[in-house]
Amino acid sequence: MKRGRRAEFWITGPSFGWLLLWFGLPTLAVFLVSFRPADPFGGIGAGWTWATWRSLSNPNYPAIIWRTVWLSVAATALCLLLALPAGYYVARAPRRWRNRLMLLIVIPFWTNFLIRIFAWKVLLHPEGLLKQAGMALGLFTPETQLMYHAGAILLVLVYTYLPFALLPIYAAAERFDYALLEAACDLGSSRLGAFYRVFLPGIRRGLTTAALMVFIPALGSYVIPDLMGGASSEMIGNKIAQRTFVDRNLPHASALSALLSLTVLIPMILILYHRVRGSAPPALRPTETAP
Amino acid sequence: MDDFLVFEGLSKSFGAVQAVAQVSLTVRQGEIFSLLGPSGCGKTTLLRMVAGFETPDTGRILLGGEDITDLPPNRRKVNTIFQNYALFPHLSVRENIAFGRRVARQPRAEIERDVDRMLELIQMEAYADRRPDEISGGQKQRVAVARALINKPRVLLLDEPLAALDLKLRQHMLMELDLIHDEVGITFLYVTHDQGEAMSLSDRIAVMNHGRIEQTGAPAEIYEAPRSSFVAAFIGDTNFFDGVASAQSGADYLRLTIEGFPPVLCYNDKGISVGAPVNLSVRPEKFSLSREEPAADPLRNVVRGQVEDVIYMGAQTKYWVRVEAYRLAVTLQHRRFALDEKPITWNEAVWVSWHADDGFMLERYSEADEELMNTPPEEVGEEWAPEESEGDAAGSPAP
Amino acid sequence: MKPGRIPRATLILVLLFFYGPILILAVSSFNASRFGGSWDGFSLRWYRQLFHDRAVWDALRNTLIVALVSTTAAMGLGTTAAFALHRYRSRLQLWHYGLVYAPLVIPDILMGMSLLLFFVSLRLPLGLLSITLAHITFCISYVAMVVLARLQDFDFSLIEAALDLGASRWTAIRHVLLPLLAPGVLAGGLLAFTLSVDDFVITFFVAGPGSTTLPIYIYSMIKHGSPPMINALSVILLALTFIVVMLSQHLTEKRT
Repeated sequence: MKRGRRAEFWITGPSFGWLLLWFGLPTLAVFLVSFRPADPFGGIGAGWTWATWRSLSNPNYPAIIWRTVWLSVAATALCLLLALPAGYYVARAPRRWRNRLMLLIVIPFWTNFLIRIFAWKVLLHPEGLLKQAGMALGLFTPETQLMYHAGAILLVLVYTYLPFALLPIYAAAERFDYALLEAACDLGSSRLGAFYRVFLPGIRRGLTTAALMVFIPALGSYVIPDLMGGASSEMIGNKIAQRTFVDRNLPHASALSALLSLTVLIPMILILYHRVRGSAPPALRPTETAP
Repeated sequence: MDDFLVFEGLSKSFGAVQAVAQVSLTVRQGEIFSLLGPSGCGKTTLLRMVAGFETPDTGRILLGGEDITDLPPNRRKVNTIFQNYALFPHLSVRENIAFGRRVARQPRAEIERDVDRMLELIQMEAYADRRPDEISGGQKQRVAVARALINKPRVLLLDEPLAALDLKLRQHMLMELDLIHDEVGITFLYVTHDQGEAMSLSDRIAVMNHGRIEQTGAPAEIYEAPRSSFVAAFIGDTNFFDGVASAQSGADYLRLTIEGFPPVLCYNDKGISVGAPVNLSVRPEKFSLSREEPAADPLRNVVRGQVEDVIYMGAQTKYWVRVEAYRLAVTLQHRRFALDEKPITWNEAVWVSWHADDGFMLERYSEADEELMNTPPEEVGEEWAPEESEGDAAGSPAP
Repeated sequence: MKPGRIPRATLILVLLFFYGPILILAVSSFNASRFGGSWDGFSLRWYRQLFHDRAVWDALRNTLIVALVSTTAAMGLGTTAAFALHRYRSRLQLWHYGLVYAPLVIPDILMGMSLLLFFVSLRLPLGLLSITLAHITFCISYVAMVVLARLQDFDFSLIEAALDLGASRWTAIRHVLLPLLAPGVLAGGLLAFTLSVDDFVITFFVAGPGSTTLPIYIYSMIKHGSPPMINALSVILLALTFIVVMLSQHLTEKRT
């Protein structure tokens, strides 16, 4: 027993120590620094203060937080709506097709994040293909703005995070026993009824994982609103970056980060709470999701 | 060398669960010795102690007079056939077989020669360069045997080696194992929960339950003269009757009172005295059934009953006969063309009889035992837990 | 029961949605016109311009240095982490699991922000070192998760079999465990490498002057640079990604 204990410390030590130092402590530091005053040279002042947190009630912030949340919720809903039928279709495809289709879905997710956003910038550009095609068809007027508003952010959020929703839904749908759907129909349920009553509850875990995998990064998105949105469509991420790089007010950026952490924690705790008592380790399992 | 592999007072607990309790055993050189019992009885833990994967809390293990209790697994001259064979998937059949000798850094030429001989013994020459996932279950088992035997172990440990095979293949491999044993003459220690395997293969069997040894003996001994009701019920089928020893009858027999029965005569080999409560056990095939009352015989017990169920099984027919409070299981072997026999059928009134020497008296077994006997092995749970860390003791299997 | 028409249509839609923008990007990279609006004929001039841009090469060098160092370190740390998580079930491992798992789910911006803050408080100069430290930290988690999944499929009786056949503990690990685990560690490393090469947000927060990586360079090009050059760069990166994905696919398929 003694010897086992020592072996455990030796093998746990390196990763535990590293992550504690470069992940645990910095996260803690964010919370601490949010109670420190800023000094005029962009550093952290001495003493403790509530001032930073109080300043978050400035009417600007609730609006930004609200926009962040609704954009994330909308992106999550759209991703689930698209991923559910698509994931279902792949899961029911012949076995040798499944991997190929999933590979096809995953490849864009392996390409550089900035390039994917840039591709949309090119497409939605005022001189871009979409605008010109739309004008030729009489859908758009020369004044139509395809970029620099919340709609463009939502579009690219869905584009970026859809693979994250597809993978867990596909993984769950692939393990689902489809004889159950036939059984439900045999017992008098309609196809749609069987889908709702049997299939959806059957892949519940995959659905919640998919929702988390979209919702959480969407809440923290910064590059997408930065490149696709305008001044009137900022999200929390933009504010954190702005406070960090433009105003050099680290305590303020910390307070916003702490706020974002808490927002992220709420859905996670809600969902993980139901699972922790189960046997499997939570959500992300790369074997289930990787191609 | 009669005391070849000796267990002296071995005990082992995992947390609150005592897996092995005060086991002492002697295995003779060259025999096939089976540890037989339901899952969770401690047989696998015992085997793993011999292999060196578990350290006993108390007791010693002697191999050929040498104390091996504290030797690490890699320094023991014993080898194991694992339940799932544990063939190395990244190595070919040939490399798997050679593994032990390569690790021992023996000369290459010598290893090659011995591997070739082993491949010949298991008739797998044509498959030498295949990987384990390219051969069948039976072939895997043979490779596992060869991989162990090439190291010339003093004892070969077999942990449920046939459990992963289907029935037909199992019988075939059983015969093959027996042949290999005849060929190499190494001592086999064989762990199984299947009484059929143990009976047909073993020279001697130890029946285990709750970490203890219930009985050790030759297969016939264990079947015909079980020393406890657990052994009687676990090995084969049997009927139990509750009774009281009411009178001595001659020097060797006791007269029993069983509710609703005429006085029952039973051979008394255990020196049970008058007045003691007993459990009479009679195996289904020891009964006779007839429509007419059998000829009187002072040593035959005769009762009247009614057939409640009949299952025709080809070679034999199984009857359930109601006699007062008991529902007796009776097996009749067909000796003539069954359709000509006018066999006894459902609802007929019959005479059930058995010889006084064919019943045996036992102590009563507990309800817990009964439950264990009726539980399919896979539900009893894993028999061993990994050694490390106190968290393991709680026995939570890896997710 | 066969899946209906709606799921099939959705899948096709999704694939069009995924590939449409990328294809258009690829096509316009060969357009001689400076503005994407019209097709002025096939040209490689943007590629040529890109190859003569020193800054791209510097950024690429920085990216590769960071990715190689952090992948190597994360492969070691992530593998031992996975071992510990798989082998032991103690309170310590619960905390360990939390530490390994959290970086996977926390938004990048939070990790970037907290690391920046931490580096500033430690007075650690921002540059390639701080970027590498940050990358190792998030790569550990990905490697650990991939290896952990492999370990869950690993049959530990193989180790016992090796010991049983006379191997020492170290020989068993070297000749049985590591060869069987290698594809998992390699796959984890490959994932870590791609994530490191790709990472923008965290890098952006902890980068200092003179430590521009490729994503940071792309970002500044998007913000103020010449779009056709980004097109060309995108196509090159896309092609590389395809090669890496196909290679890893080939690797895993052969092994399993």
